[in-house]
Amino acid sequence: MRADSIAWERAAEVRAAAAGWRRAGFIDAATERAVGEAFPDPCMTPSLVWRALTAGAVAAIVLCTLTACVLAFGETASVGQVLLLLFAIACLVATDLLEASPRLARRGAAGATSVLGVGFLLGAFALFLSETLRLRLDDGIDALLMAGVVVCAASCWRWGNPLFAALAALSLLLLLGRMPHGRLLWLLVGAVLVGLAARRLDTHAWAPSHRLGAAVLVVAGTAAVYAAVNVYSFDEHLLENLARFTPDRVAPSRPLLVVSAIATAAVPLAVLAWGARSRRAFLLDTGIVLAALSLVTLRHYVHVAPLWTVLSLAGAALVLVALAVERALRRAPRRERAGFTAEPLFSDERRQQTLQIVPVIATFTPTAAAAERPGFAGEGGRFGGGGATEKF
Amino acid sequence: MNPDVASAIGQLRAARVLSEEQAALFDRVARRRLVSVRFEIRALLYAGVLLLTSGVGVLVAEHHRQIGPLAVAGGIGLVVAACFAWVIRKAPAFSWGAVDSPNVAFDYVLLLGLLLFASDLAYLEVQWSVLGPKWAYHLLAVAVIYLLAAYRWDSRAILSLALTTLAAWRGISLGLIPGSSGPLDAALRANALALGALYLAAAVLSVRLGRKRHFEDVYANAGLLLGLGALVSGALDDQAAWTAWLLALLVVAGLVMWLALGLGRSLYFAEGVVAAYLGLVRLLFEPFHSRESSIPFLLAALLGAGVLGLLAVAHRRMRER
Repeated sequence: MRADSIAWERAAEVRAAAAGWRRAGFIDAATERAVGEAFPDPCMTPSLVWRALTAGAVAAIVLCTLTACVLAFGETASVGQVLLLLFAIACLVATDLLEASPRLARRGAAGATSVLGVGFLLGAFALFLSETLRLRLDDGIDALLMAGVVVCAASCWRWGNPLFAALAALSLLLLLGRMPHGRLLWLLVGAVLVGLAARRLDTHAWAPSHRLGAAVLVVAGTAAVYAAVNVYSFDEHLLENLARFTPDRVAPSRPLLVVSAIATAAVPLAVLAWGARSRRAFLLDTGIVLAALSLVTLRHYVHVAPLWTVLSLAGAALVLVALAVERALRRAPRRERAGFTAEPLFSDERRQQTLQIVPVIATFTPTAAAAERPGFAGEGGRFGGGGATEKF
Repeated sequence: MNPDVASAIGQLRAARVLSEEQAALFDRVARRRLVSVRFEIRALLYAGVLLLTSGVGVLVAEHHRQIGPLAVAGGIGLVVAACFAWVIRKAPAFSWGAVDSPNVAFDYVLLLGLLLFASDLAYLEVQWSVLGPKWAYHLLAVAVIYLLAAYRWDSRAILSLALTTLAAWRGISLGLIPGSSGPLDAALRANALALGALYLAAAVLSVRLGRKRHFEDVYANAGLLLGLGALVSGALDDQAAWTAWLLALLVVAGLVMWLALGLGRSLYFAEGVVAAYLGLVRLLFEPFHSRESSIPFLLAALLGAGVLGLLAVAHRRMRER
């Protein structure tokens, strides 16, 4: 990243923190202004809506122009390669110029051009491999994944977008999955990713967006380790199915399955313990998701109870655990326990409440009633309501 | 730890911008010595409600014959009563203004109670066919209950659910349930327009009358999604009268953008821009629909550039206001 961009990002972090202090009522407007003057940020950062709109408009312009050029110059592979390469160069240069301008850096346009530029570059490379070099499909996929790792990692380093960190990690893991002993490589490289990235989470020398990229790599590495040791993944050869050569599927030995089953339970607990000990919320979130996956795995192998019982008990348990944690934190001295609190602190509570509307609507809105529905049959009719879209 | 904020706090304390007490608290948070798990508690509650309602749904679907209808309905009713008893006990007094939830779990227990209530009502309808062929009216009943609950317990999430349930009653899906969306026919389009207008009127009234002013954006966004969605659907799908739909769409979208600029509401403005862009793209491609040409794509790119310019101007205006 450019030194200017890093300085702007650091100032923006401090100003965002001050906005949170003000929102929570801990400082007044004058103090917030003083913080802004002490940490000037020349960049304009519009709200998410404006950035999304700008990114959408830029993407529409670029994609429509590319399609027009393809239609005008012919739809052959060589024309496609050249056009994709030209558009990739144009987008990547535009990204660099936009990122260098404080007036334009955070408006959403640079994000769109960087993603499109990387996509076009990899698209051009894929066409080059398949149409010009005429590589075998497997070789082409390997080369493309390798290029994906390099290009995405370089993009993340240059522009700080954590999306590229995730894409680089994904490309790397897919590439490793295609090699012999892919599972072992996922386990080892996942652990190495976690180890290396975790050391950089609080490094002041790194730009804030690079630290965010490091957090993404920690999550990706943890997920890789979990996928490598999960008993269902072992049993179903999920990682072996990625390999370019598909060896005979040999059922894992019983001791290995037992070790894997223990690891399936242990990894989420270890991640949760690490999250609690280091008080990193994203590790707690990762641990919760992995624990849920382990419970689903357990349910797959051990039918302790009918599905409805498992769902209901798990749901009730989650609600009770959440209530208990909230109550314990609320009743603790100063409303905190071991460095954790259920208070919103400086986060935007109203924004969080607005965001919670989206999953509620997405999952609990009943199915639309048919406009005309003559003759309701009680048996076999379908109804919706309160998220229940069941057949009776 | 956020090292940038942590080091800034030290500088701000030294410069006496922050007091010792302020700096001490902010520093604890920046160094992760105090961390909020509010989001995690919310996520657990949401997942719990999702699993519980799914479990009840599976129970009723698979075992209602063995258990018996009265036991099923009574059992769910008991849980509903327990949820509402808790909510009523914890709820603050009613107010036409915004009321803070007494705790982070409040909204979710209310949501659970209402969802199970809706399931129970639907189950009763299936078992005893109270409404017969007009079974869809149970959605209307559920929507009204949700609406009353949203006002009584001041929940924007429940209000959103009420509005989407009301739309579902009229055959329109605002949710993300697969298979419930698709092109709208004329009747559904008319329903969407009528509901959209109703929701927008409710948004205006809630502000004008000072009755739950903070519900305005929920009403208005639902209304705009329905209204503009119906107009876009007419402009894209109605082969006979698409020009009339397009004209109406452009007028309404322009009005929405103009009003949004005045009100400083960026989301409303965005909805107007996207709807107008989709309609205009249809217009650009119409003369070329029988042959492949690069011209409409170039025109669409130019239109995109125009949108970009409009966004720059509109954003500057909104900031100035």
